[in-house]
Amino acid sequence: MRSVLAVGTVVDLELRQRVRSTAWYVLLGIAALLLLGVTFLLIATAGVFGRDGGPQAVAAVVFFVLLLGTLVTPALSGGAINGDRDAGTLATTQVTLLRGWQLVLGKFLAAWTASLAFLAVAVPFLLIAAGFGGADPAVLFTALAVTVLELGVIAAVGVGLSALIARPIFSVVTTYLVVAALSLGTLVAFGLGGLAFPVRVTATYENYSADAVNDDGEVVRAVCDPPTVVHSSVPSYDRLWGLLAANPYVVLADAVPSRFDATGNPKDAFAAIKLSERGVQIPIARSTYQSDCNPGRNTQDTSTPQSVVDSTVPTWTVGLVIHLVLALLMLAAAVRAVRTPARRLARGTRIA
Amino acid sequence: MDPAGLVVEGVRRSFGSTHAVRDMTFSAAPGRVTGLIGPNGSGKTTLLLMLATLLAPDAGSIRIGGLDPVRDPVGVRSIIGWMPDVLGSWSALTTRATLELTGRLYGLPKPRAAARAAELIELVHLGDLADQPTRVLSRGQKQRMSLARALVHDPAVLLLDEPASGLDPEARVDLRVLVRALAAEGRTVLVSSHVLAELEEMADDAVYVQAGATVDPDRVEALRDAPRLWRVRAEDPGALDAALAGRDDVTADHLGRLVPVRDEGGAADLLAALVRDGVRVVAFAPAAGDMERTFLELTRESRA
Repeated sequence: MRSVLAVGTVVDLELRQRVRSTAWYVLLGIAALLLLGVTFLLIATAGVFGRDGGPQAVAAVVFFVLLLGTLVTPALSGGAINGDRDAGTLATTQVTLLRGWQLVLGKFLAAWTASLAFLAVAVPFLLIAAGFGGADPAVLFTALAVTVLELGVIAAVGVGLSALIARPIFSVVTTYLVVAALSLGTLVAFGLGGLAFPVRVTATYENYSADAVNDDGEVVRAVCDPPTVVHSSVPSYDRLWGLLAANPYVVLADAVPSRFDATGNPKDAFAAIKLSERGVQIPIARSTYQSDCNPGRNTQDTSTPQSVVDSTVPTWTVGLVIHLVLALLMLAAAVRAVRTPARRLARGTRIA
Repeated sequence: MDPAGLVVEGVRRSFGSTHAVRDMTFSAAPGRVTGLIGPNGSGKTTLLLMLATLLAPDAGSIRIGGLDPVRDPVGVRSIIGWMPDVLGSWSALTTRATLELTGRLYGLPKPRAAARAAELIELVHLGDLADQPTRVLSRGQKQRMSLARALVHDPAVLLLDEPASGLDPEARVDLRVLVRALAAEGRTVLVSSHVLAELEEMADDAVYVQAGATVDPDRVEALRDAPRLWRVRAEDPGALDAALAGRDDVTADHLGRLVPVRDEGGAADLLAALVRDGVRVVAFAPAAGDMERTFLELTRESRA
């Protein structure tokens, strides 16, 4: 009980000292203005999409909120520990009865809370977007829950790096680089990886030739031509989908319950992303057969969007496990780094 | 608060190739103020960091109230109060909030932490500024807040790193009175400083530190036998010079004549002689405090 209280004291301290500054309120205001702009544009497009615009609008706002959150959180968390060392307030905290894990946990919870304020600012705009109609509360709820977790992961990375790197500026920048690696780096690695490790596929074609034609020009007898076999290299992605799983946007899209319309088309950006990233889990057929003589032997793709989603591994579970392991490792490293009495000090650091 | 002494034996600590603390051995007793005296960069702060459970020694042993800061840091933290030489503060928080939150970090329940903060604000005379953010405090006021922060949990051992630097004369007197009172309550007080005048007024015992090592007490004792300078001023400097004419090594500074004497007995003899000679003496005092003299002698010896 007392150890929980101590964590609460650190959160209290952190929110009062570091977070609730003028700059933070200004940032919240800017975030609200940006969201207002995005929502206004979406309202303006409502004429194009009509009632079907609701789910799309929600998806757009949710992705924008995730983008905003991932851009703000590194700044809120990346200087949590080394910033205190610079200000000369870390050591005076460490000589109290506060344990290292309580310090790190408190800093993490405070940074997370601060970034969630940006999510809170976004909620009214999400509701406006949902107000277009056709939006599903389950979609909204899941999207918010995943965003909350993803911001927590980034807060943990920031706090961890702030304990491992001596100077706040470098730990903040490194946290941004981690966010960039997860958001963009995974996509680049996925794309290039698929090209770098192609697979050979064999396509067999069989055409027929008219052997005899009647006076009306109809084929009365046909012969099968010898099959044409084409070998080619095509990019292969099925072994690389784990890279996509590490992408927070993919995790978000994948976690949301997917909505397809009557013709099987995705109703919103979540479903569209989900469909394409789940599709890459299925290995490409190594040999295909197209025959005009014997159409019954043709290889064909009988999958529907729903069957693709149902037959593949839920990417979001894998992604969340990757992210949570990353967060826990970073926090554990931070606890190790603030352990006192210190035996080793990083170059250029002072205890107090 | 139970009295707890402090014993340091053969402590060593280096940072890479820098040997900040090479060999320190001394003890500090409850109820006494022990001065840790040495030039800048002699390892005082590193030693205090080890005593404050923040840094592990490479070798040697430290016992504070019988506890080892490496094996039982939490036990040691509950009985030590550390005032760092770096004046860090939570700039957005008020002095009161700082002390309350520190109290809570020491495990005090909220109402108790609030009451303790009010007591300490009174003790260090920060009443007028208690509800201002700490960033508006002057250096001296921050020093006092820092001292109050070290006292939050009523520690038996106080480790003060340069507590008087930046204080005005009045605040220094306050500090001296406060530190003496804290020691009189049975606390062990270790004060590091390179401002000797300040320690001279405050400390019962002295530990001299040079280049990362404590100076052997025998060597310090031996220095007591060296001649010391007494400063003499008279109404008529001419008469004084005439009376001192037979003495060797008399020098002068802007305050008066400096006369070497063997010890305090020698000084008394000198004064008696001057009075006998009819010199109207207006000032007669050691030119330097004991600590300053020892410190300067040690420095001179080690340069030689």
